[in-house]
Amino acid sequence: MDNDKEIESRIDQVLQAEKENQIPRMTKRDYIIAAVITVIALLGIIGGFFL
Amino acid sequence: MSRKHDVNKEIENEVYCGTLPVLPKERKYGFIDALLVLSGYCIATWSYTQGSYLATLVGFKQLLIGAFLAAIFMLMVYQLPVIMSVRYGIDIWIWLRSVFGPKGNKIVTIIIILVNFPWYAVCCELFADSMENLLGLFGIQLFNGAHLILSLSCVVIGTIIALRGVGTITWTTRILVPLLLLVGVAVVVVGFTSVPMDVIWNYQPELAGDADKTVNYVLNIEANFAFVITLVGGMAEVPRLAKSEKSGYYAGVLGQGAAGSFFVVVGAVMAIAMRYVTGQMVDDPTLMMATLSAPILGLSSLLLVAFANIGTQAVGSYIYGVMLKSTFKKISYKTLVLVLGVYVALLCVWGKITEYFGSFLTIGACVYAPLAALLFVDFFLIRKQKLDLKSAYELPGHNAYRYSKGFNIVGIICLALGFCFTLVIYDPIKGIVHNKLLFMLTPTLASFIFTGVLYLLLSKIPGIRRYIRRDTYASPDKRPFDRAKVPPRQNIFFLPLMWLLCKMAVSPYKLKIDKHNMEGIKPPFLVYGSHNSFMDFYVTPLALNPYRANYISELEGFENFGEWIYRQAGCLGTRKFINDQSLIRNIARVIKRGDIMVIYPEARYANVGTNSHLTPSIAKLAKMLKVPVVTLNMQGNYLQQPIWNLKERKGARLHADLKCVVTADEIDKLSVDEILGRISRELTYDEYKYQLENKIVINDEWRAEGLHYPLYKCRKCGKDFAMTSSGSKITCKYCGDSYEMDELGQLHSSSGEVIHIPDWYEWQRGFVHEEIREGRYKLDIPVRVEALPNAVNFVDCGIGRLIQDNEGFSLEFDNYRTEKHEILKFPAKSMVSLHTEYDYRGKFGPCVTLSTYDDTFFIYPTEESRDVFNPTKIQFATEFLGGLYS
Repeated sequence: MDNDKEIESRIDQVLQAEKENQIPRMTKRDYIIAAVITVIALLGIIGGFFL
Repeated sequence: MSRKHDVNKEIENEVYCGTLPVLPKERKYGFIDALLVLSGYCIATWSYTQGSYLATLVGFKQLLIGAFLAAIFMLMVYQLPVIMSVRYGIDIWIWLRSVFGPKGNKIVTIIIILVNFPWYAVCCELFADSMENLLGLFGIQLFNGAHLILSLSCVVIGTIIALRGVGTITWTTRILVPLLLLVGVAVVVVGFTSVPMDVIWNYQPELAGDADKTVNYVLNIEANFAFVITLVGGMAEVPRLAKSEKSGYYAGVLGQGAAGSFFVVVGAVMAIAMRYVTGQMVDDPTLMMATLSAPILGLSSLLLVAFANIGTQAVGSYIYGVMLKSTFKKISYKTLVLVLGVYVALLCVWGKITEYFGSFLTIGACVYAPLAALLFVDFFLIRKQKLDLKSAYELPGHNAYRYSKGFNIVGIICLALGFCFTLVIYDPIKGIVHNKLLFMLTPTLASFIFTGVLYLLLSKIPGIRRYIRRDTYASPDKRPFDRAKVPPRQNIFFLPLMWLLCKMAVSPYKLKIDKHNMEGIKPPFLVYGSHNSFMDFYVTPLALNPYRANYISELEGFENFGEWIYRQAGCLGTRKFINDQSLIRNIARVIKRGDIMVIYPEARYANVGTNSHLTPSIAKLAKMLKVPVVTLNMQGNYLQQPIWNLKERKGARLHADLKCVVTADEIDKLSVDEILGRISRELTYDEYKYQLENKIVINDEWRAEGLHYPLYKCRKCGKDFAMTSSGSKITCKYCGDSYEMDELGQLHSSSGEVIHIPDWYEWQRGFVHEEIREGRYKLDIPVRVEALPNAVNFVDCGIGRLIQDNEGFSLEFDNYRTEKHEILKFPAKSMVSLHTEYDYRGKFGPCVTLSTYDDTFFIYPTEESRDVFNPTKIQFATEFLGGLYS
C-alpha cells in the first residue's frame, strides 16, 4: 500500500514535469536529423550490394 | 543481520527502486555518461564472435557497412521509443504492460530471456576456448570433457558473483569495462600491426561453391540488425536515467552503433589477421595475441579475457535476475539467478552455441523485431506518445491494461505472427531462404515492418481499437470530426456485400416490402424513413435496391463501426439537434450527383414504437432540393429490438411501405404544410397496433425487461421513476401495482384492465407538460460526462452537473479543450428533441446526449443520481420546451 502511494506520488510528479517540459523533449529538428541519418545509413546499406 | 538477508533486502530495494518512475531531479546521465554506460554494456567478448562470424560471410568493406550503417539504421528506428523511457523515467518493461497486459508481459519476459541468455553461454564457451588454446600453446593437452568443465566453471563463478548482490556487481562492472577496453585496444594494435593493411582492407571470404554473395551480404546486414536489436533487453533500464530525450536516444544509438560496432569490427580484424597468418578463422583474442605477438601477451590477455567473460556472465545473471524478480515478485532473487545459471549450464552441456551463433542471433531477432515494432507503433501511432502510467503500474482502480484477464490478446497475436513471418522468409537453423524477395529486406526488418503494419491496421478496426485503447483518457484524439467532408458515393463494390448482409439480417423476420407510386421514380430523390431500431439500416437498402443511397448518421455510429466502413456505406456524419449547415450542403451534393438521400427525420429511435412529431424543416428541405419525396414506413423493426431492451425478439415480423408522396412535378406547387402533411401521414405508425392487428406473437419470457425506462411513472400511485421490470412484468416498487405484458404486446393489470403501451407513455408526457407550465419542472443532478469529438474516441470529462429548466440545459463539466471546469448552455428553443439511450451499447446504462458543433456530450447518471435520471422524462421536457408540442 505504501509502495502504491509512493508510485502514485512519483507518477504525479513525472506527469507534472512532463507538462512543464522539465525533461527537454526531442524537437522537430532532432527528428529531422534522425531521419536524415537513417536515410544516409539506408543508402549506404543499399550501396553495399554493389561492392 | 546475515549476509543472505542483506542481499535479499538489497535486491528487493533494487527491484522496487528499479521500477519506480525516476524523477527529473534524480536523473544522473547526460549524453556522455549515458553513452559510456551503454557502450560498456555493448562491449563484451561476444563482439569478437560476431566479428569473426561476419568475416565468414562478406569482405571487409561490406563488413564495415554492416557493422556500422546497418547497426545505426536499425538503432535510429527502434531506439526512438526510448524517448518514452526518458520522458516518464520508466523502463520498457513497464511500458510493455500496455502492449501485452501485465500477465502477457510475464510470458514475453520469459521468452526474451530464453532467446537472450544464450549470449552468456557464448561467453562461457569463449572462456573455455581461451583456457584450452592457451594451455595448448604451452603444450598442455586437456582430457576429454575438460572444455565442458571449464565453461561450466565460468557459469558457476559468474552465478556466485551475481548471488552476492549489488555491491559486488558494481565493483565487477567497474573493473570489467576498462578490462574489456584494454583487451580491445590490444587486439586492435596487434591485429593491425601483424598483417599488412591491404590484406585486411581487400579481404574476401572463401565461399563455398553454392554460396550466393548477395545472400551473404543480406545475412551480414541481418546479423547486425539482430545483434543490436537483441541487446535492447539489457539496455532497457539506462535511458530512464538520462536528463534529456535526445541524450537518452543518441546514447543508445551510438553506444551500440559506434562503440559496440567498433568492437565487432575489431573481432573481424582479428579473425582476418589470424586467417592470414594461420589459415584459420578464430574468435578468441587470447589465441590471437599469443599467436600474433608473444605468448606472454597471450598469457596476460588470458587473465583479462577470463575475468571479462566471468564478469559478463555475472552481470548478465544479475540484470536478468533483477528483471525476473520485478516480474515474478514472489520468487526469491537467489532462486531466479540459479535458474538462469542452470539454463546457461544446459546450453554449455549442449556445446553447439558457437556453431549455431548466427541461428540463435536470428531466432532472437525473430522475437525482438516484432517486439520493437510493437513498441514503435504503439508509442508513436496508437498511444500517440502518452501512457496511462497508473494503469501501467497496476495501481488500484486503474485497470486500462488488464485487457483479457491480464493478457492483451491483440499484442500477443501480433508478436506471434511477427515471429512466424520471419520463419516464413528464412529458416535460421538450416539457413534456407524461403522467400528471396522478402529476404532482401532481411528477416528482421521484414518482420519489423510486417508486425508494425499489422498492429497498426488492427488498431484501426473499431472493436480492436477500443480493446487496446482503454486508456484513451490518457491521450485522447481531440480533433473535431470533419462534418464538411464531401461524402463519397456508396461503394459500388461494397454494395452487393451490403445487400447480402442486409438480406441475412432480415431473413429470420420474413421482411415484406410493398412499393406504392414508385413507377418511374428514379434517383435522385429524397427518402424520409421511420426510425425504430438498428434494423432500419438493413431494411432501407433492400427497399431501395437496385439503387445506391447516402444516409445521415449520428457520429456515434462512425465511432462504433469505424469511419472507413461508414463512409463506404455512404453515411454522412452529423450531430443530433444542431443547426448543421455543412450537412445541408452535403445533402444537396448527394442529390446533385443523382443519388438517393435517406433521412430519418425523427432523428431518434421510437421509445414505444410510435412516431415523433415532425418539423416543417423537412418539407422545406424537400422544396429546396426540388426532387421527389419518398417515405419508407417500416413496421416490426421496433418489435424486433426495442430501444429499451436490445435483445432480439425472434417472433417479430417485418413489413415496409415505400411510397412516393410528392412527385417532381408537385414539389414546386405544394406548400410546405401540404408536403409536411403528406410526409407525416405516411410516417405515422404504432408498432403495438401493428403487432395486435397482425397477431405477431412475441413470447420471449423476458419481453418486458427494460420497459420501465419509457414507462417510468406509476399509473396507480403517480410516483416518478417508480417502475421496475422483470420477465414479462412491469411493477411499481412503491405501491406494488403490476402489469403483465402479453404475447401480443398489451399490458394487463391484475384487475383485468388492458393498457396500450403508447397510451401509458403519452399519459406521462402530460404530467411533464403540466410541471413545466406550472414552473415546477427542474432537473439538477450530478452526472458523468464523456465527449465524442470525432469518429475515433470518447474523452472523459469527469463528474459534472446537469441542470434542465425552462431556459434549457446547463451542463457543467471538465472541458478537455480548455482544461477548465466550465458551464455550457443549451437554450430550450434550440432543440426540438433529445437523443436518449436506455442502455447505451448494451453495457453503459442510460444516458442523454447534448451536442455542439465539435462535440457530442454523453451524459450518464452518477451513483447518486441514478434513481432520478430518466431519459424519457428529460426528453419529454426538452420536446415541450423546444416547441415540438406547442
